[in-house]
Amino acid sequence: VAETLGGLALGFQVALSPGVLAYAVLGCLVGTLVGVLPGVGPLAGISLLLPATFGLDATRAIVLLAGIYYGSMYGGSTTSILMRIPGEAASVMTCVDGYAMTRKGRGGAALAVAAVGSFVAGTLSVVGLMLLAPPLAEFALRFGPPEYTALLVLGLLALAFMSTGSMPKALATAALGLLFGMVGIDTMTGFTRFGFGLRELGDGIGVVPVAVGLFGLAEVLFTAGQPEPPPVIRPRLAELLPTRAEWRASVGPIGRGTVLGFLVGVIPGSAHIISSFVSYAVERRLSRRPERFGQGAVEGVAGPESANNAAASGALVPMLALGVPSGPIPAVLLAAIMVHGLTPGPMLIRQSPELFWGFIASMYVGNLVLLALNLPFVGLFVNLLRIPYRWLYPAILAFCVLGVYAVNQSAVDLWVMTIMGALGYLLRKLDFEPAPIVLGLVLAPALEMSFRQSLALSGGDYGIFVARPIAALMLAAGVALLALGALPAAVRGVRGRLGLDSPLVKEDTAR
Amino acid sequence: MMRPLALAALLLALAAPAAPAQEAYPSRPITVVVPFPPGGQADLNARPIAAALERVLKNPVGVVNRAGAAGAVGMASVAGAKPDGYTLLLALSSISIIPEADKLFDRKPAYTTDQLAPVALLSADPTVLVVPADRPWKSVKELVEDAKKRPGQVSFSSSGVYGTLHMAMEMLMHAAGVKLKHIPYNGAGPALTAILGGQVDALASGPAVVIPHVKSGKLRPLACWGDRRVASLPDVPTFKELGYEDVEFYIWAGLFAPAGTPEPVMQRLRQAVGQAVEDPEYKAAMARIETPIAYMDAPEFKRFWDKDAKMLAEAVRRVGRVEGAQ
Repeated sequence: VAETLGGLALGFQVALSPGVLAYAVLGCLVGTLVGVLPGVGPLAGISLLLPATFGLDATRAIVLLAGIYYGSMYGGSTTSILMRIPGEAASVMTCVDGYAMTRKGRGGAALAVAAVGSFVAGTLSVVGLMLLAPPLAEFALRFGPPEYTALLVLGLLALAFMSTGSMPKALATAALGLLFGMVGIDTMTGFTRFGFGLRELGDGIGVVPVAVGLFGLAEVLFTAGQPEPPPVIRPRLAELLPTRAEWRASVGPIGRGTVLGFLVGVIPGSAHIISSFVSYAVERRLSRRPERFGQGAVEGVAGPESANNAAASGALVPMLALGVPSGPIPAVLLAAIMVHGLTPGPMLIRQSPELFWGFIASMYVGNLVLLALNLPFVGLFVNLLRIPYRWLYPAILAFCVLGVYAVNQSAVDLWVMTIMGALGYLLRKLDFEPAPIVLGLVLAPALEMSFRQSLALSGGDYGIFVARPIAALMLAAGVALLALGALPAAVRGVRGRLGLDSPLVKEDTAR
Repeated sequence: MMRPLALAALLLALAAPAAPAQEAYPSRPITVVVPFPPGGQADLNARPIAAALERVLKNPVGVVNRAGAAGAVGMASVAGAKPDGYTLLLALSSISIIPEADKLFDRKPAYTTDQLAPVALLSADPTVLVVPADRPWKSVKELVEDAKKRPGQVSFSSSGVYGTLHMAMEMLMHAAGVKLKHIPYNGAGPALTAILGGQVDALASGPAVVIPHVKSGKLRPLACWGDRRVASLPDVPTFKELGYEDVEFYIWAGLFAPAGTPEPVMQRLRQAVGQAVEDPEYKAAMARIETPIAYMDAPEFKRFWDKDAKMLAEAVRRVGRVEGAQ
């Protein structure tokens, strides 16, 4: 512990020196911007700036790039809440209740809760990263294909709780998302499936064009199809901040989202996106009034936004502790350190303590900077809603097209976005929730791959999923979740008998 | 917006008046296309050479990443580019694999290798065979004997089916007459994570990737695919020393131009690369990414490439179409 404190002191000396601090602030600024722009996600953002950092020293390079990474997790919530456009894939869940809050005039409150939740999650998970990295990283490596399959199945079963409408509808849209995820080159055999001769579809359908189309474009279409334009919201200053009741409702989700997000983030792979979905499902399940979800429940913003920030730090655990690229973004960060001749991993902390501790300390500083950046922006961003729709919506469309095109410079992505926009419009009309499509699309390739890897390892024996303890435990949890989801009434009955229902709920039912 | 260099190049190209035919090369920015995302092996090779070429030619040389379809998108874009020496390609060994795999699946080929002319080889890293330190095998002999006793049981991870890391193992399996279980991952990073977690029994990967984990004691190197030992692993034999004559494989990086580039331009380029690889800053940058420079000029590189491509094509055909997961 004394060693850690000594290291941290050294780290703060490095992180607070003007030369390094400036890069941390710059990274946070760029990250916020990258998060706000629909389409341009953290991976595109740091990939773009990576070459520019080759001329910097290693510490400044990593501080700048990491700032973009966790900064984008803050920025991602802004457009989700105000315009129902996910700034990046991990913010899809925030669109649901965040945007509903905006329509009720609570957009400012949602933004403030998201910023504070992100700050708490970001800071606490850096503490976790600092203290728990080595043992957690060893644990994460034990996640082989069967464990990963079980985790993804668990993520999909969480849908049973996520659905704000009927469960069959949610499962149907998730199945559609899984089917979209089948497009592309089969990683196990090299066959191209459902490619329609388009080389661009070889890598599969991108998450960004689908998310922007289903949410952003569909929202514009839907509003344009209304007989009367929606009233322009004129937020007053007093309404910008969350009420005491809203704060109180957010504390639990922020705490749970942090722990959950961090643990899910540690696991190698792209699991971090599901942390926000699982957090949403958990909050809805724990809520005494789950019917409020989808109608602007502040818990539905606080939980997922905290979870995606915590997951961002969690993903750095295997990278720092073992030098293992646990996902596409840590892989780019690893490259940024390696071009300076440093080897990440267990030796890094001894080889160059200034870099290691400076990096850790810069994340504490960066989270503070982001909070200071984002809270004042709440007022500014909310006032964007004052713009009349005939000006605002064309601008939104332009940003959607620019952002989606910028990721791969692919016109195919724009067509995917357009088709998904039409599909999203149709789904809105038919009262389907589009979020499960995005979840299905994200999970399908990983699920298929780890499932088939598991069977290849076991020689076709399905027993591998229950023979390994971590996998078996998660599958059991998934089955339990599904059973509980099918019997919500029974659960409420049990809770009542156990005296778990608080007076608050009784008041509500009495009213 | 996302590719400032490309945009700058485009604007300059538009602004420049129609270039006279005998104009000296180079007179406007050169673009080196990397068909993979930033931070990968190809990207790390491209940036130092682009910077060194810029110093030699006294002309801007930018790097543009055009990733997609395991590199096919970017390679095809250069194969079809105007052969004027202003669009170059930095490709890895996989350049010879993609057209073969396209043939195998009756796909319309993204490009053919004769659409590209080699300029120079920059680096060639032999792959190294590693096993988790807790596995019993101390030598290739022990591993091969065990694998013969239980065919299809000993597993290995790779960067993907028909990927370079898969091909290296395929050559070994063919030469040793054993069948190992192939578990493909989507990239060299995840394949490394899998062996570090003990999910699989073996992996072939580049020295820079495996050496840190050999040093930390997690992985044990058994042999390497080069024609001589890897400098930082002096105790690890080559497969040739062990009697596997045809087992030779490198993950190499080379510079290409579209076929049909005028001879004077090719001459200038080759000469510039020859000077660039002697640049001290270039040498320092390559040392930092632990990649030894293995420079070869066009004629020599052409022979190397032809031999390598033939070997890889045979390996792809031997693997054939993979039916199902097994």
